[in-house]
Amino acid sequence: MRKIFISTDYCKGCLICVESCPKKVLKISSSISAKGYTLPQVSDTEKCNGCGICEIVCPDFAIAVEKEDKAV
Amino acid sequence: MLKHPMLKYLKESGPHGTRLPLIMCPGCGVGQVLNYTLHAVDSIIKEGGANKEDFVFISGVGCSSRLTSHYLNFDSGWTIHGRALAIATGVLLANPDLNIVVFTGDGDAAAIGGNHFIHAFRRNINVTVICMNNGLYGMTGGQVAPTTLSQAVTSTTPYGNIEDAFDLCRLAQSSGASYVARWTTAHPHKTIKAIKKAICKKGAAFIEILSQCPVHKKQTPVDMIRALKAMTVPIKNAEGSSKIPVGEFCDTPRPEWTQKYEAIIEKCAGRKS
Repeated sequence: MRKIFISTDYCKGCLICVESCPKKVLKISSSISAKGYTLPQVSDTEKCNGCGICEIVCPDFAIAVEKEDKAV
Repeated sequence: MLKHPMLKYLKESGPHGTRLPLIMCPGCGVGQVLNYTLHAVDSIIKEGGANKEDFVFISGVGCSSRLTSHYLNFDSGWTIHGRALAIATGVLLANPDLNIVVFTGDGDAAAIGGNHFIHAFRRNINVTVICMNNGLYGMTGGQVAPTTLSQAVTSTTPYGNIEDAFDLCRLAQSSGASYVARWTTAHPHKTIKAIKKAICKKGAAFIEILSQCPVHKKQTPVDMIRALKAMTVPIKNAEGSSKIPVGEFCDTPRPEWTQKYEAIIEKCAGRKS
């Protein structure tokens, strides 16, 4: 299982990461952040293969994925 | 908590407090282009192609030009509108070994800086120009720009743009650039590869990145990314298509300006002694 970190300070809720994830690990959160943005939320970390596309497309440097799969 | 890997190249805080999050609107393509550029630079540094101190980032004025000195933990200059390439020429003359990356927008490059743009490529100076083209003047209110597509609606063309758009890649290519490529923010890996190639090349390289302005186009960033994918076609299939071609337009090495200048200096120095 990989850990995915989303910075609530930096994320502006553009949701490009949700669109880009090939494994559909991320989903749109049902709650609104303190700054008024609808943030992405991790739905299923088991499916994440660590491709890092969410890190590459993020315009706000807000998401980070653990590259090493610690469970294996 | 794990942080984004590219934050090591950014200044998270300064004398007046925290600098991040970026000033750009939610979903702006400019932040994505910064991310792609830092990935390319990171890959060059990791492969030993250059040190962090060898990079200089120069920008003019506009949304895209806000990226340099305020955020980047590199040597950088936030300079005058449209004249980023002129200042980059000066930086290069002072130290021809530097890797100079110019961040510019479509208004900065094609409208106010149009003349510097063509002459930098004519001289073939060793700079990498990364142009974020969102097809309007984003910072001043979404007015029509020379790169606005025909029939596109902006705040000053509410019934559609009657003019044709500048094709910046063809302009750079015919001016004499060594390397020209166009990609969009919807093609992350291709863009990173093109930026890396452009930085490693000697000579003037131009990369146009079609980008989204969700605020002035009044669409969601995700819809705009999908539209960018749908409106472009790879250059090898572009024949007869009405879509925008993306890919490498040219890769033709030409003698670089500072090398020729140094040859003149050596020749004259030899004549003197």
